[in-house]
Amino acid sequence: MRLKLAAAAAALLLPAVTAATRAVAATPPLLPADPAGTSVVLASPPSPHWVWVNDVVFNHMPDGQAILVDGDSGRMLGMLNTGNMFARVVLSADRKLIFSPETYFSRGTRGTRTDVVTIYDAAKLAPLSEIVIPPKRAAIMPMMAANDLTDDGRFLLIYNFTPSQSVSVVDMQQRRFAGEIETSGCALVYPTGPRSFFSICADGAFLEEQLTDSGTLAHSQRTAKLFDAVHDPLTEKPVRVGDTWYFVSFSGQIQPVTRTGQGLRADPPWSLLQPVDAAQHWRPGGLQQLAAHAASNRLYAIMHQGDLATHKEPGPQVWVYDLATHKRIQRIMLKNPAGSIQVSRDAQPLLFATFIGSTTLDIYDGLDGRHLRSVTELGTTPTVMVTP
Amino acid sequence: MKHMDLLTERLTRAVAQRSSRRGFLGSLGALMVGAASLPLLPVARGAQPPAEKDHASTQDPASCEYWRHCAIDGYLCSCCGGSQSTCPPGTEQSPVTWVGTCHNPADNRDYVISYNDCCGKSTCGRCLCNRNEGDSPLYVPFQSNDYDWCAGSHSDIPYNCSTARIVAPAR
Repeated sequence: MRLKLAAAAAALLLPAVTAATRAVAATPPLLPADPAGTSVVLASPPSPHWVWVNDVVFNHMPDGQAILVDGDSGRMLGMLNTGNMFARVVLSADRKLIFSPETYFSRGTRGTRTDVVTIYDAAKLAPLSEIVIPPKRAAIMPMMAANDLTDDGRFLLIYNFTPSQSVSVVDMQQRRFAGEIETSGCALVYPTGPRSFFSICADGAFLEEQLTDSGTLAHSQRTAKLFDAVHDPLTEKPVRVGDTWYFVSFSGQIQPVTRTGQGLRADPPWSLLQPVDAAQHWRPGGLQQLAAHAASNRLYAIMHQGDLATHKEPGPQVWVYDLATHKRIQRIMLKNPAGSIQVSRDAQPLLFATFIGSTTLDIYDGLDGRHLRSVTELGTTPTVMVTP
Repeated sequence: MKHMDLLTERLTRAVAQRSSRRGFLGSLGALMVGAASLPLLPVARGAQPPAEKDHASTQDPASCEYWRHCAIDGYLCSCCGGSQSTCPPGTEQSPVTWVGTCHNPADNRDYVISYNDCCGKSTCGRCLCNRNEGDSPLYVPFQSNDYDWCAGSHSDIPYNCSTARIVAPAR
C-alpha cells in the first residue's frame, strides 16, 4: 500500500520536474572505453563439448572452412579457412594444435597448385606454420578417412588420388614430409597403432601398412578377401573403438575389423536390423553415418527407409546399439534429418547431427537422446564433424 | 543398355578405366535427392517423379529432365554460360568422361551421351542435376561418384559444370 501511495505522489509531481532534472536523474554511469585491437583467445585444451564442423562449401569450393562450435552454449567460437576441396581437420594428440591438409592455387582457381598441411594454434585459430606436401591429396567427397593421425600422434596420413592411389606420410614432430606409400587398388587411411594403418581395397581385402620410426614403409601385407565389395559393399565410413573398426554395409550389416598381433581379423558380422526393420526397408545412410562412444561402448547409426542405392541419404532417426550385446538400446527421433553425426568423448556425451543440404547443427544429449539446442546459419554445406 | 553397340561398349570400358568426376557432385545430388521429401532443403530437380515431367522439359537443355541428362550428375553447363555440348567461356572441357545411353522422345531414338566436365573455374552453382544409378564406395574408384575427376584435366581440380554431348546413335 505504501508503495502505491508513493507511486501516485510521484505521478502527481512529475509534471513539475524539469527536463534537465529528469535527464540528470536518468543518466547511468559512463561506459568504459573498450580496448582496441583485441581478439578472443580460446581455452586450451578445448572443451570436450566443442565440435569442429567441416565444410567443403560446394557452391564455392576454393573456400573450404572449418567452424568451431561450443555444444554446451550453442555459440560459434571461430573458424578456419582451409582451401580447395577441403576434407577435414585433424586434432593433435594434446589438442593444442590443429592439422589441416589443404590445397591452394596461386591464382585462386588457377596457377601453381600447392598442397600443404597447415598447423594452427588451437587457442588462437591462427596458422603457426605449414608443411608442403606433394600436390596429390585426393579431391573427394569429404570423409573422416581422407586423413588421420597414427595413434601416437606422430605421423599424419593423407590419402592421395591422381588417379594413382597412395598415402602421403607427414612427420608432425619433425614437421616434414616423410614419404609416400603406394596403395594401388586400395583407398583411404584407418590407423591401428602408433606405426600402423590400413587401407580398404576394391577386391574386398585390406592393405595393412607398417611404418618405420622415420615414417617410411617398413612392410605391408594384403589380407585375404574379407568382405563382399560387390553385392553388399561396406561403406568407407567406419568408426573405431579400441582396436576394432566397425564398418557397415549398404544393407546394415556391421563388419568389425580388429587389429591383432597377427594382423587384421574380420570378426563375425551382425545386423543393425531386426526382421521387422528389414521388412520396413530401414537401412543406414549418410555422409558420416556412424558414431561411437567408447566409454559406454555404444554405436550410433543414422537410419532411413529406402532401397539399396540410398546409402548416402540422410535419415530421420539415430539408432543406438550396445557394442557388447549388439542389441539396439535406443531410437532417437531427430529434430531434423541428419546425414552426419558425431559424439563427444566425455562421460556425459553430446550427440551432434547435421546435414550437407542444411546449415543447422542439432545438439542432443548423447545418453538419453533429448534434443538440447540447435545452431542455425552454420556454414554452407557442412560435411563431417570432429570432436576433441 | 541393351541398345548399346560396340562403340558404347568401348566407351564404357574407357569409363571403367578412367571414370569421371561426376560422382563427387553426384554425391551431393544424391543427398539432395534424398532430401526430396524434406522441407526447406535444396532439392535436385531430378528428384521429381517421372509423372511430373512433361514433354517440353525433355527438350530444354537447362532442365534436369532434358532427355540427354538421363545419367548426369552435376551443374548443367546450359545454366552456366555454356550449352549441352560446350563449356562456358574460359573453362576447359575435361578429356575424362563418362557415358550413358539416353532416349530422345522427340525422334524416338537412343543416343550415346558423353558427360564431359568443364574445369578451371569454381562451381557454377546453378541447375544441380542428379539422375542416376547407384555407385560404389571410394575404394572402387571407377564406379564411385565421390571423386572429383576434373583432376584429370590440365586445369586440375576446380570444377565448374557438366556437358552432355551426343557421341553417336545407339543401335
